[in-house]
Amino acid sequence: MEDCEDCEEIFSQDGVLLKQAPATHITFVNTIGTLYISESLNSNKKRFIEWKPNDITVDSDIQDQEWAVVNTIQKRTRTLSGNYPPDYQNRIKCIKLNFEDIKSFRIANKSRQISFYDGKADCLCIFGFQHGSSDVLLSILKRMLRVSVSKRDKHLYIVYDANFPEFQQLDRSFAELNIQHDSRTLWSVFKNLKDHPYETTFEAFSKVTDYVYRSPEQRDLDDVDRENLNRSISEYENTTTHSQGDYEVVAKVPERKDFPRLRPLSLEQWKGHMNSEGKIEDVESVRNLIFRGGVTPCLRSEVWKFLLDYYPWSSTELERQKLLASKSDEYYNMKLQWKRMTKTQEDNFTDYRERKSLIEKDVNRTDRTLDFYAGDNNANLQTLNDILMTYIMYNFDLGYVQGMSDLLSPILMLLESEVDSFWCFVGFMNKVIRNFDIDQAGMKDQLSNLHTLLAFVNPQLANYLDTHDSGNMFFCFRWLLVWFKRELSLEDVMRFWEVLWTGYPCENFHLLVCVAILETEKPNIIQNNYGFTEILKHVNDLNGKLDMAVMLNKAEGIFYQIKESDHLTDNIRLILGLPLLQSQTSYGSHEQSPFEDSAELSNGTQPCCSVDNVRISPDEVAYERSINSSFL
Amino acid sequence: MRSNSKNTLLKVVILGDGGVGKSCLMNRFVSNQFDEHSFHTIGVEFLNKDIELDGETYTLQIWDTAGQERFKTLRTPFYRGSDICMLTYAVDDKSSFKNIEMWRNEFLNYADVKENGQFPFIVVGNKSDVPVEEREVSQLELETWCNENSITSCIETSAKSASNVQEAFKMAVQYWLRLESRADKIDPGVNDTVDLKKKHSDNRSSCCTGSSE
Repeated sequence: MEDCEDCEEIFSQDGVLLKQAPATHITFVNTIGTLYISESLNSNKKRFIEWKPNDITVDSDIQDQEWAVVNTIQKRTRTLSGNYPPDYQNRIKCIKLNFEDIKSFRIANKSRQISFYDGKADCLCIFGFQHGSSDVLLSILKRMLRVSVSKRDKHLYIVYDANFPEFQQLDRSFAELNIQHDSRTLWSVFKNLKDHPYETTFEAFSKVTDYVYRSPEQRDLDDVDRENLNRSISEYENTTTHSQGDYEVVAKVPERKDFPRLRPLSLEQWKGHMNSEGKIEDVESVRNLIFRGGVTPCLRSEVWKFLLDYYPWSSTELERQKLLASKSDEYYNMKLQWKRMTKTQEDNFTDYRERKSLIEKDVNRTDRTLDFYAGDNNANLQTLNDILMTYIMYNFDLGYVQGMSDLLSPILMLLESEVDSFWCFVGFMNKVIRNFDIDQAGMKDQLSNLHTLLAFVNPQLANYLDTHDSGNMFFCFRWLLVWFKRELSLEDVMRFWEVLWTGYPCENFHLLVCVAILETEKPNIIQNNYGFTEILKHVNDLNGKLDMAVMLNKAEGIFYQIKESDHLTDNIRLILGLPLLQSQTSYGSHEQSPFEDSAELSNGTQPCCSVDNVRISPDEVAYERSINSSFL
Repeated sequence: MRSNSKNTLLKVVILGDGGVGKSCLMNRFVSNQFDEHSFHTIGVEFLNKDIELDGETYTLQIWDTAGQERFKTLRTPFYRGSDICMLTYAVDDKSSFKNIEMWRNEFLNYADVKENGQFPFIVVGNKSDVPVEEREVSQLELETWCNENSITSCIETSAKSASNVQEAFKMAVQYWLRLESRADKIDPGVNDTVDLKKKHSDNRSSCCTGSSE
């Protein structure tokens, strides 16, 4: 290729339409250009697929390194409105896909379209062939890459080229190790990955570590073993998830930005957002202010009722007065239901009796060091007890689960009203109800999601945990169950909760707070070579040592790092409630993958490319706007 | 027998209903402190404490878990690799005593201890300081249950008044030693190193299956 001095052109085809591209190249979508396969003339002999638009002439002083390498995160300085600096757009016009980054490709539209995937369920690029077809390109790719056709989709080609360093290593480590008698375990690892990526991953890598540590009697795999292994790997590739990226392909996230915390929502600000009828006019702006700085303490008892869905955000003062009366009746009705239970009824009702007894025990062990709950025969303890008992009648399926008294205690302490505290507690419980699933599925999901997020943001730490029996993230259990109630002071926990109740900047933000803390503790954990028990102990001992404002600040920085990553997968999007790339998350079944970033890139106007299913929730857009308005 | 020069690490799991005083027993034993208003345990905690017995040092790694049934699936993976299991109840809470059997079965189910072999359980009736009129389980009931279930070690304690707590843990280690020496006589081929390694790898896979189930 004449524009690229260090490369040799192997193949070119013109009339190739860019149908989908990474966010960095979104403006070239629907542009016609030329597709090349070229080989670097350096000693590394790397091969690329390149595409450049027809009308572009690249200046001769632009060197190879200034071409955008797809799937490499640029350190981009993005303004808050989402525009790139103008020179940035001019510099990066050509698309360059490293052969190593292509994990699979798929032919569609009667050979008139080819999509390249990076193995993380993300589509790198889609090219359409205006004249001719992809046949020649396909035959060349088949020769240059070791590919196999997917069993599930005959148009999908899985790449397992020996050039891939991770497979070389894998092959080598399998070959060096005497795993013949155990090789079935390893294949099952790859098979399981598609069904239980998370569970299998941490198990698998600890197993691989086991093999590595075992003394190697050098023995090569026989052919049958090797074939089985290859088959497993290709199956694994076929259904690969982000986990591969987490452990093998180290992709960098953008630089972290600093999001300073603001002052808490003031009385003036709060009143300023209310109209003459006492209705909040710009709810999103209020929520955003609370997210950024919390609520000033004297306002809390009012604002928490909104945050905890006791008062509807859209209500007027008059409506709230009416609501209070009816909610009070409702509460006392439920309270009477258990108060009226006779001794005989109780004796014949084991389930109820057990709950009652556990509540009594736990109430006596909740925040007793605080003045509000101190001393014997404390009336507030009785109220705490009564609210939890009434909650049993409100939600008998759930009943009482340990941890609930921790969630109620600060609410009662603040509101001091039994009825209001009950309904605010109901609102809090609705937000965290899955923490108390009978089978603890909600907690397991969160631990698993936390691992997924950590692996994305900090693969080194995730990998360390996996290889030190800690990939289950269990040591974060207490943090998650009661939202850091046990680790923070009363004032900090109030601030922390009200910030989290806003639901900003994304779903499951508390998981990013965990990521932030773990990242802070990473040097301690890794340098001391902690194993599971030491990590558990270390994390348990962080109690009272966490700086809440710093945690929130970091977590928000992490959120934007993730959100702005080019290799962001649907798995991560799902956890954080970001719009998905595709309607179906199953790999290989998608053709068009619109970009979540597109609306931002075009600064809030219509996306500049013809992509289907751009789904950005109104909340998301509103949030972006409110963020911008508060900064600009 | 384990080498005399070595410091032996023993994993002790304390089980029992919520509120019987598991954490208080542990804290009394490890730091000789008692906090009447300590929090109930969430998740899993553990503390280490050295104990001397006949001139030898044993490090007890004591695991304390949340007692509510709801947290079973997240608790049970920690049973693996245990050397000693302390079954606890409160003498003023009959139902916590009745549940001892359930706790023993749950432990045996998940700890993956050797079949046929006896495991060093010790049954501890805590809160022995309560006034007589509040007591719901007598010492005799405790001893009867232990006899019926072939458990030779049981003791009443009070974490609050520091009564018998050190003794309970000592008793547990002695029981462990007795069983250990018996096992050595029966099967001298089985030595610690192999055994521990096995436990270690089992432990890991149990953790994984535990959280994926």
